[in-house]
Amino acid sequence: MKRRDFFKTSLAAAGALSVGSTLQAAHQPLTGQLISKLNFPEKRPMITYSDRPPLLESPRHVFARSITNNDEFFVRWHMPEIPTYIDIEKFRIKVSGLVETEFEISLHDLKTQYEQVEVTAALQCGGNSRSAFSPTTGGIQWGSGAMGCAKWKGVRLRDLLHRAGLKKGAKWIGFNGLETASYYKTPNFIRELQLEELDDHVIVAYEMNGEDLPYLNGYPLRLVIPGTYSDSWVKMLSEIRVTREYEKLFFMDIAYRVPDNDCECETPEKKYPRTKPITKMNVKSVIGYPETGALVQNGSHIVVRGVAFDDGTGITSVKVSVDGGKTWNDATLDDGSAGRYAFRGFRHSFKPQTLGKLTIMAKAINRAGKEQPLDKDVKWNHGGYKYNGIDEITVEVI
Amino acid sequence: MKKLLLIALMASALFAQVKQGEDIAVPYIPYPIKMGKGFNAVQANCLTCHSFGYIINQGPQSKDFWAGKVIKMVMHFKAPIDKKDTQTIIDYLFKHYGNGKLK
Repeated sequence: MKRRDFFKTSLAAAGALSVGSTLQAAHQPLTGQLISKLNFPEKRPMITYSDRPPLLESPRHVFARSITNNDEFFVRWHMPEIPTYIDIEKFRIKVSGLVETEFEISLHDLKTQYEQVEVTAALQCGGNSRSAFSPTTGGIQWGSGAMGCAKWKGVRLRDLLHRAGLKKGAKWIGFNGLETASYYKTPNFIRELQLEELDDHVIVAYEMNGEDLPYLNGYPLRLVIPGTYSDSWVKMLSEIRVTREYEKLFFMDIAYRVPDNDCECETPEKKYPRTKPITKMNVKSVIGYPETGALVQNGSHIVVRGVAFDDGTGITSVKVSVDGGKTWNDATLDDGSAGRYAFRGFRHSFKPQTLGKLTIMAKAINRAGKEQPLDKDVKWNHGGYKYNGIDEITVEVI
Repeated sequence: MKKLLLIALMASALFAQVKQGEDIAVPYIPYPIKMGKGFNAVQANCLTCHSFGYIINQGPQSKDFWAGKVIKMVMHFKAPIDKKDTQTIIDYLFKHYGNGKLK
């Protein structure tokens, strides 16, 4: 039995995970996990790895569409205490540190005193598809649904910093949200970015797909950094602090890092000594329809649908194979009007002609010529980050 | 200006998914954790910060891995777990969620 066949029937939410093979490589990530019967606030029932902190994965079928609904959008928090009530009249975001004028601003003023901008951008956890790695790495064993794409609306971070006025020597910005730990001494989930990494696409967003952000996606305000993994998109953003020096932080220095070498890889026996933050997303695609285990009618039209994205370099083509990788066809891409940071929808129709198992694969290629490797060629790293193997699902033709 | 303000307020009321003034309730999920020696220490220490889902969804791991995780909780997350409990928890995790390998 192939590992993915095993996983098809496994219950991730119930904690049934198989023993990984000892080969140092990757394979297809978990798919078809159990969807919880319980719904979380403002969410439909999702794949539920934890309730405290809440960790919810979108089921695969969501990726047949290039915008992810708010109530199906994945959720990942780091701390057990997240505010379950926010008084929007009293909520303020503070800009402080190495600036001419520190200030606090209400959501209302943010919406009325600054230019409102929109960006459609994919959001993906650095550990998305982690279950693909073998040997099993530390961390939640996500399938491919720790990602989503939404139209975000807010104001430019630049404009806020401009109002505060940066002082000479300002180099770093720390972002702090409202989630808190059980113990006072636990480090907060603060992120730091270098000022020079910021461009006009970085926004402080209060709206997602035309609605307020759901609580579990960071209501009332979150950072949106298109092209970058979601660990930097601080939720329930409450403080922006400008500094001269980089401050030592657990979530910057220890977590969310990959080996600092060309392949960003290592072996369990010989971990690479230097690491770097995960930052920019690599090229990836996920098939939303059909799903592994589906029965399809022989001779009927099947429209394979999925999404492809990268760090904003831009997807130029998606190849689909319906014979397990022997031959590849150009999929039809959507018009790309949602912009270079958005999920690029793709589709490919075909008629299955042979009874039995049929494997469908998708491979995205971007403007820089980067393409997804086969799953077995994805190199291992200890945190299980940045998996982007060619996606594969297997249906049964009847 | 007054009119503008009114429109803005109406808009926010329309967009809101949770009614202003109401809080949300995150459900509790009973994750099926295995019983055995050391479970009391796991319950007393680990559950303060995270659900059992965090344990059972890590995949089967080596003794070194579990030791590293527990030590990380103490070192980096400042969990006040004493030395005796630390060892008890590592042994429990490896016995029930281990892959049989020390390293």
